[in-house]
Amino acid sequence: MPTVRELRDRIRSLKNTQQITKAMKQVAAAKIRRAEAAQRRAQPYAQTLSEMLRDLAAAVSVVDHPFMREGKVGAPSGVILMTADKGLAGAFNSNLIHAAELYAQEHAGTRFYTVGLKGRNAVRRWGQREHPTWTLGAGKLATAREVAARTESDFRSGDVGQVVLISSKLISMMSQRPQTRRLVPVVKDELAGGEAARAKGAVEFLPSPEFVLSALLPKYLEFTLYSAMLETDAAFFAAQLIAMSNATDNAGKAIDSLTIEMNNARQAAITKELLEIVAGAEALGVE
Amino acid sequence: MAATVPFKLITPAEIVFDGEAELVIVVTTEGEEGILPQHAPLLAALRPGVLRANLARESATERLELATRAGFVQALPDRVTVLVDEAVRFEDVDVTKTREELAAAVAAADRPEEEFAQAKLRLTGH
Repeated sequence: MPTVRELRDRIRSLKNTQQITKAMKQVAAAKIRRAEAAQRRAQPYAQTLSEMLRDLAAAVSVVDHPFMREGKVGAPSGVILMTADKGLAGAFNSNLIHAAELYAQEHAGTRFYTVGLKGRNAVRRWGQREHPTWTLGAGKLATAREVAARTESDFRSGDVGQVVLISSKLISMMSQRPQTRRLVPVVKDELAGGEAARAKGAVEFLPSPEFVLSALLPKYLEFTLYSAMLETDAAFFAAQLIAMSNATDNAGKAIDSLTIEMNNARQAAITKELLEIVAGAEALGVE
Repeated sequence: MAATVPFKLITPAEIVFDGEAELVIVVTTEGEEGILPQHAPLLAALRPGVLRANLARESATERLELATRAGFVQALPDRVTVLVDEAVRFEDVDVTKTREELAAAVAAADRPEEEFAQAKLRLTGH
């Protein structure tokens, strides 16, 4: 049975841990608000962009852009795996990595691009040491631009037959799920948003519908990546908030049970001492 | 007071401007385009350049001038929307920093021309 001193030390160490997890929980709560605000600020851009694409898709009958054509047959899939840079968020990163692993099992020869340090490390473990990789952290817009440019050129050159994105979807504060979706080639119906083209009369395109479309599609890819990065960021902090909140609760429970154990141990020691005193007194014949 | 049209300037990071404008002048890949209210539907690609707008104010017309990266403009009879990657107001341009960036861009002469053009744009505005 552990001594009172040992138990007291363990309780003290648990309390320290609890303080750290509590602080991390509060930081995550503050950061998730910021991440959600960034997501909201990106909304108007997203809406206008898809509106423009819808108009274009309605106006251009025959679309001839590499993004609209099927990729090279037999070329491997290119997968952009988006994870967080840090851990301590429960199963958040491992869920994403697992989704990527499943995808790679189904599609032989998958080529990875990673955004986020955790994903980078996982892909390196799988043997793709020199894959293109970025961090999720700072400069998201610039990163999105680079990832889009890189995947676009790989798709155009036929190094990859399609571009797939695995990122986290923030369903609610309590729930995040990995999401796998194909970004390139783009399906025309998706651009149209399923909505019947609104008859707004003839739209004039400068210099030409084809040119505007060929400029808009890479922008669309870039922005989709950007907003996925924002969402993954927000989902990460949501996962971390929950993980840290659970850790704080668990530390509290462990402290409670250890405190009871410590009190028992102390009481047992006192009882033992009393017995010894009484026994000693009896032996001496003290009345 | 001249007729006005709702005008929005949007970047991925924020809505830079949202209000009424009498005239919006953008630099498309084909040249400058002035957009007045009741413009016929138009969707055009923009190259990096200067975006200017005459804003409707009670007393006098106010001028809005920004340096923008490449993007798109969507003009409809009842609204004008500009999407760009980045837009910087003239008064926010840090001349010293931009000059340094330009120098760095010139030094790396083998870099793509676009970067040079953008640095120049940020410095001179055209």
